[in-house]
Amino acid sequence: MTEPPIVEARHVSRTFPMAAAPVAALRDVSLGIASGEYVAVVGPSGCGKSTLLHILGCVDVPTGGEVLFHGRGVSSLSDGDRSRLRLRELGFVFQRFFLLPMLTAWENVELPQAEAGVDRAVRRRRATELLEYVGLSNRAGHRPSELSGGEMQRVAIARALANRPRLLLADEPTGELDQQTGGQIVTLLDELHKDGTAVVVVTHDMAVAARAHRLLTMRDGQIVESTSR
Amino acid sequence: MLRALHFAWRNSVRQPGRTCLGVLGVAAVGALLFDMLLLSHGLVLSFRDLLDRAGFDVRVLATDAAPLSGPRIVDAEAAVAAIARLPQVEAAVPVSIRNAEIVSQSEGARPIRVQFLGADPNARPMWTVIDGRDLSAGASAGSPLLVNRALAARLGVAPGSTVSLRGSCGPGSAALPQMRFAIVGVAEFPFDDAAAETVAGPISSLAGLCGDEPGSSVDMLLVRSNPKDGSESAAAAIRARLRGLHVVTNGELVERFSRVEFSYFRQISFVLATVTMFFGFLLIAVLLTASVNERLGEIAALRAVGLSRGRVVAGVLFESMMMVGAGAILAVPVGLALSVWLDGILRALPGIPTDVHFFVFESRALVSYAWLLGAASVGAALYPMRIVATLPIAATLRREVVG
Amino acid sequence: MDRTRIAAPFAIALVAAAALVTTGAAQTGQAADAPGVLLSRQLMERRQLHVGDLVRLSADPSGGRPQSFRILGVYEPTADPMRFAQPALEVRLHLPDLLALKRDPSQPAASDTVSAINVALVNPADADGFARDVSARLPGTTAASTMAPNDRTSTFVVIERFHLAIAIVTMIGSAVFLLALMIMMVDERRETVGTLRLIGFTRRRILLQVLAEGALIAVAGTTFGILFSFASQGAFNRFFQWRYDTSLVFLRITPGVVAQSILLAVPLGIVASLAASWALLRRGALALIRR
Repeated sequence: MTEPPIVEARHVSRTFPMAAAPVAALRDVSLGIASGEYVAVVGPSGCGKSTLLHILGCVDVPTGGEVLFHGRGVSSLSDGDRSRLRLRELGFVFQRFFLLPMLTAWENVELPQAEAGVDRAVRRRRATELLEYVGLSNRAGHRPSELSGGEMQRVAIARALANRPRLLLADEPTGELDQQTGGQIVTLLDELHKDGTAVVVVTHDMAVAARAHRLLTMRDGQIVESTSR
Repeated sequence: MLRALHFAWRNSVRQPGRTCLGVLGVAAVGALLFDMLLLSHGLVLSFRDLLDRAGFDVRVLATDAAPLSGPRIVDAEAAVAAIARLPQVEAAVPVSIRNAEIVSQSEGARPIRVQFLGADPNARPMWTVIDGRDLSAGASAGSPLLVNRALAARLGVAPGSTVSLRGSCGPGSAALPQMRFAIVGVAEFPFDDAAAETVAGPISSLAGLCGDEPGSSVDMLLVRSNPKDGSESAAAAIRARLRGLHVVTNGELVERFSRVEFSYFRQISFVLATVTMFFGFLLIAVLLTASVNERLGEIAALRAVGLSRGRVVAGVLFESMMMVGAGAILAVPVGLALSVWLDGILRALPGIPTDVHFFVFESRALVSYAWLLGAASVGAALYPMRIVATLPIAATLRREVVG
Repeated sequence: MDRTRIAAPFAIALVAAAALVTTGAAQTGQAADAPGVLLSRQLMERRQLHVGDLVRLSADPSGGRPQSFRILGVYEPTADPMRFAQPALEVRLHLPDLLALKRDPSQPAASDTVSAINVALVNPADADGFARDVSARLPGTTAASTMAPNDRTSTFVVIERFHLAIAIVTMIGSAVFLLALMIMMVDERRETVGTLRLIGFTRRRILLQVLAEGALIAVAGTTFGILFSFASQGAFNRFFQWRYDTSLVFLRITPGVVAQSILLAVPLGIVASLAASWALLRRGALALIRR
C-alpha cells in the first residue's frame, strides 16, 4: 500500500470577503505533497501562492474543499489541535524571518521544542545541532539585530526544523535577501530535502524554483501547470 | 506556565525604557490608590486609638448630641457616685470644658480666649505633663493650673507664673469676676489641635470661674470599665442605672463620627480611589494594546510555528500582571511617603487633634490594594488578549509582507 | 457658644436653643393662638409633616415646657459647607417666640441672650477696629469682622491644598504614561522617519512636523479632557447632592480651572512628543530603517 501524502488538498477554495466584492484567492485546487518531495509553487503576484501555503500549513482554513494530513481531515480540528499539528509536524519559514528580537539565535531555535515539552537537555543538544547544521554555531548567542539577513533566515530555518517536521513550508525564503545569500539558503533547502524532509517553497524566483523536483504554476487561484523534473 | 512567565518577562524587558515608564506610571497611580485606601479608614482608626489612649472607654452625656455640644449633666455628683458603685465600672470622672479669657494687664489689648478643662486632679490625668508638675502633686499658692505648650509660649509663662482668668460660660452669665491661678506645669492635651490654647484645672476651680455650684453640672462623665467586664457591659449597666442620660462607648462614638463628621473623607477617598483605578486601568490597557499592536506579525508567526492560542494570550496577561505587579510593589513605599505629606496637609485642618492622623496603615488596606490592582491588571489585559486570541494568522502574515 | 473639642469640620450644629420637635394633639384652645414656625425641608420629610400641622417645640432636652407652633411653611436651609454631612433638621422662629420658648423661670436673665448679633456698619472698612472696640468694651463677647480669617476659611484653604496635592500626583502619573505612549507612537513611525532622513529631510524639519502633530494631539486631548470634566462635573455634583441631601455645589469648573488645565496639558503633550521624537532622531537613518 502506498503511503498517503503528508498533506493533501482536495478541491480547496479560499474566498476573502472584501469591501468591493469577494476575492477568490484559491479556486478548486487539488494537490498532494508526498513524503520527501521537493515542490516549488510559482506564479505572478496575487495568484494565490501564499494562500495555498497557508492552507497546506493549517494556518488558514479553506472556504471549500478539504485538507488532509496523513489521510486525516484537518478542517474539523480545533484551533488547539491545529497548533499542535504545526508544532510537531510542520516547519514554517517566512520571507520576513519573524525571529523574536529579544531572544538569541539559540533561544529562537529552542522555542518550538520548549513549547512541545521537550526535555531541557534534549532541547539544548538539538538547538546546538541545528545551528551547526545551518552553519551558525559561532553566532548562537547573538540576537537577531546582530545578524545579517542571510543569517537570520538560516536561524529561521533551524527553528522550523526544531521538532523534526516531516514537511517544511517556505514562503518566499529568499525574498529579502541578495542573490548570493539567497543562493546559500536555497542550498540549505536542498540539503534538507536530501536529508528526507519534504519541502514546499513558494517563490517568484525561477532560479529557486528550478531546484525543486515538481513545479506548480499558479494563476488566478488555480494550478495551471504541474511539471516534474 | 513558567515558560509563559519567562516569555512575558523577556517581552517586557525588550524595551526597558518603555517598560520602566509603564512601571513608574503604575507606581504613581498605585501610590495614590493606596493612599486613598489608607484614608478611607485612617481617620476612624486614629480617632479610636486616641480615644482608647485617653484611658476611658465609656462616656456619659446629657443627650445624644456630640460631646461638649449639648446640654450639661445636672446632679453630676450623684450620677458619678451611682456609676462608680457599679461593679462593671473601675472609675468615673466628671469633666467640664468651658471658655475663658486670659485677663491682660495691657489696656485695650485683645483678650486671649482659652479652653478650660476642668477635671478631678486625683483621677488619672487626661494629659501629659512635660514641664513642672501635675495638678494633684503638691500645694500651690492659688488654684493650680496647667497650660499647653502653645499658650505657655504665647504668654511667656512657665511653672511658677501666675495668670488671671475670667470665665465665658454661656448664656445667663454676666461679666464674671477674675480668678487668679498659679501655673504649676505645662502639659500636652491629646485632643488639642495645632492652634488650641488649653488650660486645665480642678473642676471646682472651673465651677468657681463660672459662678456655678461645685458638682452641680458637668459636660460629661468619663468612665473606665472593669477590664473583666468590658465597655459594652459597663455601658449597659450605666444605662440601666441612669435612664435619663445618654451612654456611649468609644466604639459607638467612633461609629457616629464615622457616619457623620468623617463621612466627607470616606466619600472623597472612595471617589478618588475609583477615579484612580479607572485612570490606571485605562492607561495600562492603552499601553498594552499599543505594545501588542506593534507585535502582531511576530505573534502571528509564533502561532504559525505552533504556539497555541492560549499560550500567546497567557503571555499578554502575564505581561500586564508583571508591569502592574512591579509598579504596585514600587507604589507601596512611594504611597507611604506620599501619605506622610498628605497627612501633614490635612492635619492642618482647624479642630483636628494633633495626635490624630488621616492616613493610617492597616493590613486590610494592603490586601484591598493588591486585589484592586490585580483586578485592574486582568481587566486592562482583556482587550489586548482579545486582539491576540482572535488574530487571523494568515491575514496578519500577509499584511506584514505587504506592509 | 461652646466649642467642641474636635471642632471645625466636625462641629455639630449649634443653635441657641436645642429644640426637640414633637408632634402631638395640641389643646384646642392653643391651636388658634399658636405662633408660626418654618421647618426645613429635611425635617418635614423626616417627620412626615405638612404645612398647617401643629407641632410642639421645647428648649429642654427632656421635652419640658413645650409650646405649640403651627407650621406656616417649609424652607430650604442655606447649604453650609462646614456642616454638609449633618442633616439640616432645623426650624425658624421669630426671635421673641424663641426667647419665650427658652425662658426659664429660675433664671430670668438667661432668656435675654442670643447667639450672635450681626452688625452692618456705615463704613465697612472700619470692621476690624469696630470689632476690637466691642471686644474690649464687652468682656465675655467676641466680635470679629466677617472678612477675618477664621476656622471656616482655614478649613477650605487646607482642603484646597489637599486637592492640589492629589492633582500633582495624578499629573505626574499621567505625564509618565503620556511619555511611554508617545515613545510607542513615535517608534511605530521609525521606518518612515528613517526613510525621510534618507531622502534628505533634516532632523529640524522632522522635529517641526512632530511638534505640529504633538500640538494638535495635545490640543485635541485637552479639549476632550475639558469637555469630559464638564460632563463629569454634573455627575459628581448630583452624586454628592443626593448623598448629603444638600444643594451645595461640590465641583465647579471655573474659567480659571480651564485655563490652568490648558496651560498644563498642552505644553505637557508637546514636550512629551518632542522628548519621544528627539530620542528617535538622535539615531542614524540607517539604524531607523533596519528591522
